Amino acid sequence: MSLLLLLVSLPTLYWPGGVESAAALKAAGIERLAVPVEQAEAWRKAGFDVAPVSAGDLAAREKVEAPGLAVEITLASATRNPWVSASGWIFQRKSAGRYYYNELPAGRAVLAGAEAYAYGADALLKIDPTDVGAFGGLLAFLKDLPPRELPAVADLGVVDDGSDDVGEVMNLLARRNVLFEPLVKPSPKFRINVELGTAEYPKEDAGDPSEFAAKVRRQLTDEARTLRVYGSDVVIGRVSGDGSHARVHVLNYGGRPIETLRVRLRGAWGRGEGYVAGRGKVALEDYAMEGGVTEFTLTAVGVYVIADLPAIH
Amino acid sequence: MLAAAPIAASLPDEAGAPRYRVVSPHRHAAVPGMPGPYPGKVVNVHSDKCLDATGGHANADVVREMMARGMCALTGEKKVGDAWKRFFEPKDVVGLKVNCGGRPYVVSSREIVAEAIRQLMAIGIKPTEIYIYERFQDQLDDVNYAPDLPQGVRIIGAESANFFANAMKRLYEMAGTPRSDESGYDPRTYVEADFFGEEDTRSAMMRLVTQRLTKIINIPNVKDHGATGVTGCLKNIAYGSFSNVARTHSHGKSHTYSCVGTMAAVEPLRSRTALQIMDGLRGVWHGGPFAHTKRYVFYPKRILFGTDPVAIDRLLLDIVDEKRKAEGAVSIWNRDPRHLKADDWGARDQDPNVNILIREPGHIEYASTLGLGVADLAKIHTEDVGV
Repeated sequence: MSLLLLLVSLPTLYWPGGVESAAALKAAGIERLAVPVEQAEAWRKAGFDVAPVSAGDLAAREKVEAPGLAVEITLASATRNPWVSASGWIFQRKSAGRYYYNELPAGRAVLAGAEAYAYGADALLKIDPTDVGAFGGLLAFLKDLPPRELPAVADLGVVDDGSDDVGEVMNLLARRNVLFEPLVKPSPKFRINVELGTAEYPKEDAGDPSEFAAKVRRQLTDEARTLRVYGSDVVIGRVSGDGSHARVHVLNYGGRPIETLRVRLRGAWGRGEGYVAGRGKVALEDYAMEGGVTEFTLTAVGVYVIADLPAIH
Repeated sequence: MLAAAPIAASLPDEAGAPRYRVVSPHRHAAVPGMPGPYPGKVVNVHSDKCLDATGGHANADVVREMMARGMCALTGEKKVGDAWKRFFEPKDVVGLKVNCGGRPYVVSSREIVAEAIRQLMAIGIKPTEIYIYERFQDQLDDVNYAPDLPQGVRIIGAESANFFANAMKRLYEMAGTPRSDESGYDPRTYVEADFFGEEDTRSAMMRLVTQRLTKIINIPNVKDHGATGVTGCLKNIAYGSFSNVARTHSHGKSHTYSCVGTMAAVEPLRSRTALQIMDGLRGVWHGGPFAHTKRYVFYPKRILFGTDPVAIDRLLLDIVDEKRKAEGAVSIWNRDPRHLKADDWGARDQDPNVNILIREPGHIEYASTLGLGVADLAKIHTEDVGV
């Protein structure tokens, strides 16, 4: 990946604060940011790589929720699992979209930035000022990653009619780490093409999107899934890869570190390396490859971890 | 004398039973610890003097005598040291699987734990080669065995806390607190099953069991259990040695019928669990496995010895059910949906005629079909000893 491409794919800080805060941003290692048009020149003079953003530009961007756990104690729940707020499925649905994390509370900047990066989203992030240091650390981590231009891996297709029903199905598939590709029409490259309104997937079934996603998962079978993650109910993974390499992105929405996660990746992959945001390179532990399935353990998983694995031929 | 009631006929419908995939690189021992050398044999040692009038304090000397008599009766040895040598040798690394889930009132008694360790050290096992273990460190910390133990004995929890139970205790409706620590478990030894469509379908065995211990002493309590009917030898060793087990029971339905035995039978747990000492000094007849209140605590004042977890648990069923009957509570075998308030822990704690799940006491008979022991009362030989 070229440096230009890398920079384009990095999440971008939207900073409405005045140039008097430049020292804090520089101290955090942040050199590139989006600012209101009227402040752009001042920031350039302060030595920053600046993208001016008008109020209209900002309003035109699709707003996305702060990622993390949503706890609604006044609502009954059909599941004892924590509810994860994640936007990866939205980024997949409209990969050319332009997004704006407009309300990121303190402590969410790194997860939001990692989420945008993992899905290659063009996203601006308005972060809490107390997160500047952590966000700068994330950008440094992302810049240091080995460059990989790999296509996303999916186990099934979802025909996207743009409806809320299909959106919720995609949300819950992503939540279950069932890897899908949004489609305009069914594709022969997938054994399973989910298309609402067909005999196999009646529209009324989408009224219970959780059960709908569970049905799709059963059809696919866990055995056939490219990615399984064991040890936490609050992580979402994404896989990209080709015949030579696989990259596994794991996002932890739980708000606190996870000591160990076991990852099962379909395919024969060699011992690779892990990269944990905030820690750097780590070993993939308890590696095992048998029967066309690779497993390894990620340790001390903070907000975001990437595992890179070479193919075994 | 332990009562002999027949197992109820209403075993659950096996339709829809989960499919298990057991993965373990470990092999059976020539003679697996469960059911061990004494299948179908249980020694029931009773003493009215083992507890004070409040039930809060045990008499260590009486407990020691109960332990000695029980071990000798189990093995046929005259000297207690020789009885313990039937199971352990100086080179062993021994784990004591205690039960701290019923804290503060009903946990594996420190007097029993201390006496077991004293006997292990008398054989020549170093204190640093003796481990007291539980799944949850916070429970071990609360019970705090350390002051009663020789220096060097290790106390280990596989994970920091039972986040599920704690979350339930705080506020059931809350969206839960995620698990975060699986480092104490061995990713190469696990049971995989999909019970309710959960995403994490694996339960892994503790690394301590797979990688360190050569023998295990199982020290469960006499306890009622909302999902399994009772929690005794089988559940303590199985659900107390594997991760991610709370997922087997939810929304009124319990898959513990088959899961408890399946996990107990996984190697090396099955082979290394050499001795069962059921602590029945105190017990819980409702609300188990917890004992947050003394309301449901009772005092059987006994210790059961054996190597066959199924046989001991079969007797446990009657101990708990008879107590429930005496208290006017529905039987642990009751499957009447009118008594079911699914997952309503508060209602269950208030009313002993409320079940939060359809209990599965048949898990003990199921375990017998896996070769873990004898469930047929007619084939269980109980030796009663009074102290």
